[in-house]
Amino acid sequence: MPRTSAGARLAAYLVLGIAAAISLVPTIYMFDISLRDATDSFSPLLIVPRVTFANWVAVLAQGNLTGFFVSSALVSVVTVALTLACVIGLSYAISRLKIRGGQVILLLVVSALLLPLASLLIPIAKLLELLGLTNNYLGLIGPETALGIPFGTVIVKAAMDDIPMALEEAARIDGAGSFAVLMRVVVPLISPSLIVVAIWQFLYSWNEFFLALVIMTKDAVKTLPLAPLYYQGPFMTDPGKLFAILTLIAIVPMAAYVVLQRWFVAGLMEGGVKG
Amino acid sequence: MTASSVGSGHAPAVARGVKLRRGRGWRELEAWLYVLPGLAVFAVFIAYPITANIVASLFGPHGDVTMANYRQASGDAVFWTAMRNSAVWVVLCVVFEAAIGFVLALAIEMYIPRGRVVFRTLLFLPMVITPSVIALVFSTIYAPDYGLLFGVFDSVGLGGHFPAILGDPATATYGVIAVNVWQWSGFFVLMYCVGLTQIDRELLAAAAIDGAVGFARVRYVIWPLLYPVTTSLVVLGTIQALQQFPLIFLMTEGGPADSTQTLATYIFQTGFVLNEMHYASAVAVVLFVLSLALIVVQYRLGRERRAHA
Repeated sequence: MPRTSAGARLAAYLVLGIAAAISLVPTIYMFDISLRDATDSFSPLLIVPRVTFANWVAVLAQGNLTGFFVSSALVSVVTVALTLACVIGLSYAISRLKIRGGQVILLLVVSALLLPLASLLIPIAKLLELLGLTNNYLGLIGPETALGIPFGTVIVKAAMDDIPMALEEAARIDGAGSFAVLMRVVVPLISPSLIVVAIWQFLYSWNEFFLALVIMTKDAVKTLPLAPLYYQGPFMTDPGKLFAILTLIAIVPMAAYVVLQRWFVAGLMEGGVKG
Repeated sequence: MTASSVGSGHAPAVARGVKLRRGRGWRELEAWLYVLPGLAVFAVFIAYPITANIVASLFGPHGDVTMANYRQASGDAVFWTAMRNSAVWVVLCVVFEAAIGFVLALAIEMYIPRGRVVFRTLLFLPMVITPSVIALVFSTIYAPDYGLLFGVFDSVGLGGHFPAILGDPATATYGVIAVNVWQWSGFFVLMYCVGLTQIDRELLAAAAIDGAVGFARVRYVIWPLLYPVTTSLVVLGTIQALQQFPLIFLMTEGGPADSTQTLATYIFQTGFVLNEMHYASAVAVVLFVLSLALIVVQYRLGRERRAHA
């Protein structure tokens, strides 16, 4: 880092402090509303001095949120696993096995990076109805995996391109088949990029709303992003409970990111930001 | 991988070894086995829907081939509102997110000695919160008479002038866009931080000797060096802005009086609420073509700028 004057340093800290406050205030506000009793619910203050845990006790005792959590966890974990498998396979065949027509496949897949989900939603909904996958976890897993493939392939293929061919060839001489080379040589070397793709895809899947709104109409299979909509009506006059639920939903990915950000950032740095 | 298997040049043996194992045909077939799962998922959930969408947009309600859906769009005032709003979304989101992202990343990477990880993480956190949660929290923040923003106005004696941001067709779209900028700026910060850490420090030192310090260093050295990052971010930001659905759907439902409809929410409205699937498909094709066109233009511009840098 070049030398900076004390004044510039101070100004930078001030600007960053304000920005960090702005990004945290809505979360603090949300949490505080969950700690208010009914008489304070509609106070315009950021933090109300009187604190009650009644909303949390009520919400946790009801336990209705468990179903949403289970659905979200299931969909997200399977989506991440399938996306990684698809992306690794595509990248390996194109980058290392030099499949014929590889560039065409790559262009096809990567061009879908630019596709807004909204422009695919109607036919996807119709197709899932036809296949009987409405209100089925696979109805979310399939399209979410597909939508993760373009971004994942860009990152993972670029990472594989950076591995020297000699490394693989050496392993091949030792008698390893292409799958063994993939698992023992290639995957360990590109793991930082795989972590980036996994975290990104998990966040996408965990927070996906539009598709879930259309596909998951039965309460039993709804994912977490639909929970606010579900509770908004019944808790209209009881914001404390609604906001306890909102906090509960928000806290999981926030905590996960705080723990995982080291690997996420490291993976981004390693892969570079390709133009 | 074992260290002993690496290096020690036996290039001729490589070619022979690989060829000896199996024939060319097998290797080709094997490669296809690797791409099969990805291509299959892609074909079913992306290639097929795109095609089906274009086809559906060309049919009328009685199975007749027609351009009527597109004619309907061209005469539909709400469609044009949605087009205008989508354009406003793209421009405002990309400009503000990139500007905020660049300035804050610069502050983090170039101007502070300690606390980089803390700021990067804190600023990124809004990115990971479920948008439907964010929508309800910000609806409350904007709420007239009891929201947090009202509290801020009230504390400086302007409570009587507090605007109903989401209730007024003139301001509602901007109110929702501000939330999107709030959520996504941290992503731009992080990507610019990554870009900044990869700038060669010796290059900066050399530029400083040539007199590029302070603002000149930022404007003529750092900013051009980050063009590739900016290009990627502009493309990503454009897609993201065109995609935004939950914030609008939960904060305004496209209202008041359709003033906040974008192409994404209008596709939902026409397709799934009004059940006019063929018309919705035509709107979807417009969105698809629009995003494609925008992104091609941005890539071209990005490449040109880089060439001139």
